Amino acid sequence: MSNFTWIDGSIIAVYFALAMFAGLSVRKYIGKVEDFLVAGREMDVYLGVASLAATEFGIVTCMSSAELGYKHGFAGAVAGVCGFLAMLFIGLTGFCVRPLRESGVMTIPELFEKRFGSKIRWWSGVVIVLGGLLNMGVFLRTGGEFLVIVCDIDKQYLEITMTVMLVAVGVYTIVGGMLSVLVTDYLQFLVMSVGMLVVTVLTLMNIPWETLASTVESNYGAGGFNPFVNPNIGWTYIIFQMLVNAAAMLTWQTTIARLLSAKDAKTGQKVYTRTSFFFVCQFVIPGIWGIAALATLGPGIVPTSHAMPTFLAQTAWPLGVTGLLVAAMLAADMSTDSSYMLTWGSVIYNDLMAPFRKTRWSEPRGLAWNRTIIALIGLFLLVYGLWYPLQQEIWTYLTVTGTIYLASMSTLLVAACYWPRANSWGAAGAITLGALIPFAYLVFEAIPVTREAALNIGAERAGIAAFVGAGLAMVLGSYLKPGSSVRIA
Amino acid sequence: MIDGSTFWWYVTAACLAWFSTVTIYVAIRGGLDIKHMLRRLKALKQQNRDE
Repeated sequence: MSNFTWIDGSIIAVYFALAMFAGLSVRKYIGKVEDFLVAGREMDVYLGVASLAATEFGIVTCMSSAELGYKHGFAGAVAGVCGFLAMLFIGLTGFCVRPLRESGVMTIPELFEKRFGSKIRWWSGVVIVLGGLLNMGVFLRTGGEFLVIVCDIDKQYLEITMTVMLVAVGVYTIVGGMLSVLVTDYLQFLVMSVGMLVVTVLTLMNIPWETLASTVESNYGAGGFNPFVNPNIGWTYIIFQMLVNAAAMLTWQTTIARLLSAKDAKTGQKVYTRTSFFFVCQFVIPGIWGIAALATLGPGIVPTSHAMPTFLAQTAWPLGVTGLLVAAMLAADMSTDSSYMLTWGSVIYNDLMAPFRKTRWSEPRGLAWNRTIIALIGLFLLVYGLWYPLQQEIWTYLTVTGTIYLASMSTLLVAACYWPRANSWGAAGAITLGALIPFAYLVFEAIPVTREAALNIGAERAGIAAFVGAGLAMVLGSYLKPGSSVRIA
Repeated sequence: MIDGSTFWWYVTAACLAWFSTVTIYVAIRGGLDIKHMLRRLKALKQQNRDE
């Protein structure tokens, strides 16, 4: 039974009102499509840090990190360490992101047109939107499930809860675009951070570190601390996580949107460098909550993603802490949803619709189209989020759907920036193989007849195969086509 | 050689320290960033109108 009181409800209401006010109040600064999609490229370092961290941490991330902690102990946080190393390296060296920002594009496919032609731009847009929307498809349901468990809401209100949250986010994103996203991200980062810090400190006060460590030891042995000896993690998983994280830092449109909104490449790199350690935090802190759930509830919770919210609901927090926690998680989810809706919408407008813009559109017409697309994405999320049943660990679903585009787009980006021989044949091959392998894996896993075979192959091996396949296709395709291209870096 | 529990204790402590420090820093500097960004966008919008 949750200990949700009217004080908790008041804290959530105040946060919700503040977020809506902040999101709607910047409408008057939107004059052009560039203001709407990349905030006029006026974002500075610390706003970028808040926005990037808030965007990349939602309820779905929190639940997946906690699930990894619950199922694998501390070793489950290795994916966060991979993300940290990848982002730190890219931020320090400017690998790919410097030429990307200096090219002045608003989306990655726009850059590809300069190297590989308009057809590759369009197909890149298709793959990005497909992977991005499938990835985002589970956000609403997992967010709704978290709120239902923690707030002890009747399950029949799950859909209504999800709809209200999505409509609120949709309204301020449609009105203010990236500007609303940045301003609300700032507020949401602060609320999210305070909530997570308070809950983590109180958890560690209630359950001593020795208890957490001995719980992991008794359930998972040395593998609970060391991912390399964990039978469910191991080298294959870690190699896949390194590839996925490096590719995500380079090409995940919601991450790259911060780089493209930055004042210049140097500012974008600073945002990356200073946000990098957050990726360890976003796995370790919810991971601690997951281990605390294991210590208090035992290993039998099904589905495992519900262990952490059940632990939070059953803990007797001081007055107001549940409200602060729910406000923090709402903040995390709203910032993620708004940014994802805007950035996938930006690819649809900027790249998929590019062939239909024979003449230059007026700014009001461009803004109207962008706003309509965001509304339609919201509608899609509502429908998809309601019917898609999650078959596997949340994190596995996120990485496999992400790989649909990460494998091919990262290959194209590296080649576009640093390999003069790369051309449209190689790009087409990389897109096809990079998307086909993870998509086929998801389909085979969903069909009962082929499910066993898919599970024997494993999501990680399928993911690594997608990266290798995309790379090989790029090299072979580029060498098969006569002539060569010019590098942009 | 530190054991697994001690290693993850240090990582957790680093995460809490990072979060506390960055939250305070971002609260101040991020707020100023927003102020400057909106001021510049307002000026640019006015400039476009004048042209």
